[in-house]
Amino acid sequence: MIPASLKGTDDIWSIPPKWLPSQWEWSNFAALLEQDINGGYFFRSIGVTLIVGVSATFLNLVINILAAYGFARHEFPGKRILWAIFLFTMFVPGITVQITSIQVVTKLNLTNTLFVLILPTAANAYNIFFFRQFYLMIPDSLEESAMLDGANRAQILLKIFLPLSVTPIVVTGVGCFIGHWNSYIWPTLTIVENQDKYSQIMQFVYMLSTNEPRDYGKVVAATLVTMLIPLAVFSVFQKKIVEGVAISGLK
Amino acid sequence: MELKSFGKEALAARRRFKYRGALSGYLCILPAMLFLATFSFAPLILSVTRSFRSYSTGEFVALENFKFILQTPTFVKSFANVLILAGIVVVTQMVISFLMAHLIIKLPLKLAGVVKIGIYIPCMMSGVITSVIFNLFLRYNRGFLDAIMIAMGKDPIYFAQDGIWPYISIIVPTLWLGFGYNTLVMLAGRLNVPREYYEAAKIDGAGVFATMFKITIPNMGNFFILLLVNLIINNLQMLEIPMFITGGGPHEKTITPCMYLFQSFNDMMRDRNITIAGSLLVMIPIVLLNLVAFVLIRSKGSEDA
Repeated sequence: MIPASLKGTDDIWSIPPKWLPSQWEWSNFAALLEQDINGGYFFRSIGVTLIVGVSATFLNLVINILAAYGFARHEFPGKRILWAIFLFTMFVPGITVQITSIQVVTKLNLTNTLFVLILPTAANAYNIFFFRQFYLMIPDSLEESAMLDGANRAQILLKIFLPLSVTPIVVTGVGCFIGHWNSYIWPTLTIVENQDKYSQIMQFVYMLSTNEPRDYGKVVAATLVTMLIPLAVFSVFQKKIVEGVAISGLK
Repeated sequence: MELKSFGKEALAARRRFKYRGALSGYLCILPAMLFLATFSFAPLILSVTRSFRSYSTGEFVALENFKFILQTPTFVKSFANVLILAGIVVVTQMVISFLMAHLIIKLPLKLAGVVKIGIYIPCMMSGVITSVIFNLFLRYNRGFLDAIMIAMGKDPIYFAQDGIWPYISIIVPTLWLGFGYNTLVMLAGRLNVPREYYEAAKIDGAGVFATMFKITIPNMGNFFILLLVNLIINNLQMLEIPMFITGGGPHEKTITPCMYLFQSFNDMMRDRNITIAGSLLVMIPIVLLNLVAFVLIRSKGSEDA
């Protein structure tokens, strides 16, 4: 991969293959700066995808932590049936609702804006499930003593539950962010116009690879740059992720 | 009896405390409920209602759409294809991640940490990136593998077309993408098995296979079932990798149900309601598998307790 990104096109497809380029072509990376597809630029696409990923992750965490706290630590009429309804959404495959989801977001005037990428992933039953399992393990006494000290529900959630849920926050947060970074199908269906402004990174890389199959050095260079973000996220959170995967397997 | 009444009071106080939270409870789940209603239930209900109606006239046609899609050869074929592809992927992935987890346990702790992180990295990659990487190797005449074939004086292989190669070119990248996650879950399950069991098995003179099937797998319990069901569900929905690597060819041999549906959705000429009926059919095995897993895990859980 790395040598290929530095090779000229002739070099990449040379026979027999060369492991190292005959000429180091940094131009593949330089060309990315100016590469435009349907009027959009590579680094703009990276920036837009980062914005989408970060805001979607933030929204996702807020909504799902709240819901998990609601289900784990409150009693209210209809709780069991509501929980069953929430869980049912985990069973519905994306493809089953693909076309009608587009209908819904079109009705809401969300298509071709960034909201169409951020809002549909905001609530996720699996994430709620994951946080709820965590909150069920926190002893009642902790909450009760805080209550006696005059703390209200919001304070309990912020001061007691949040600090204890670093692992699930990292695991679901990274999962949500990487999911957005890697997503290809949904953006291609919903960002049809305004591609110059909002095209997501995977859309961009895919179009680059189909538009210029001959210019493979550039495609590989783009792929390498694109891989850096998940790698960076992973290297920051690696311990928590590896530990969290094991816990998430527990259910 | 001082103590008893105290306990009762505490219990009542706790219940009061909990039910006092009813309003706060509803408020907590309200945002998630609104989002799920809009982006999960509304589309699902729309799908169900549309699958029973004619696309052109909007009339109620009962099961006509379902009948039609089940008589579409490509759709039926795509199910057979995915059973082969997913079958091979699931079995292979279970075996290699089991063996890898077994290996990691034997490694010194520090090295095991490095290996765990190393094998997890591909799991962060997307279908697009994976296929760009693998296409570097697999391209006809121009990929690295064919370059090697040519250098050795042999004919280049058309990986997306020739013989069993299309299957291999889909299966290998799929395994590569999921291997890290599956190994880590396997490992977590494996660590769940009490060490004394192995010592006991050794004393009884149990062989490698007997230990594996009689000790390790049964005692991994939920992890094993969960991983298996997850793998089956995910691979039944295989889409991006076959679409980017073989494009469904040759002769629709590697087209999967999700790929067929995705392509039909994008084809303006096709009857959308028939495609929606097809997409509801894909949901049936997935819901059933989930229920099976749920029941198995429940019964297992009560056994342990």
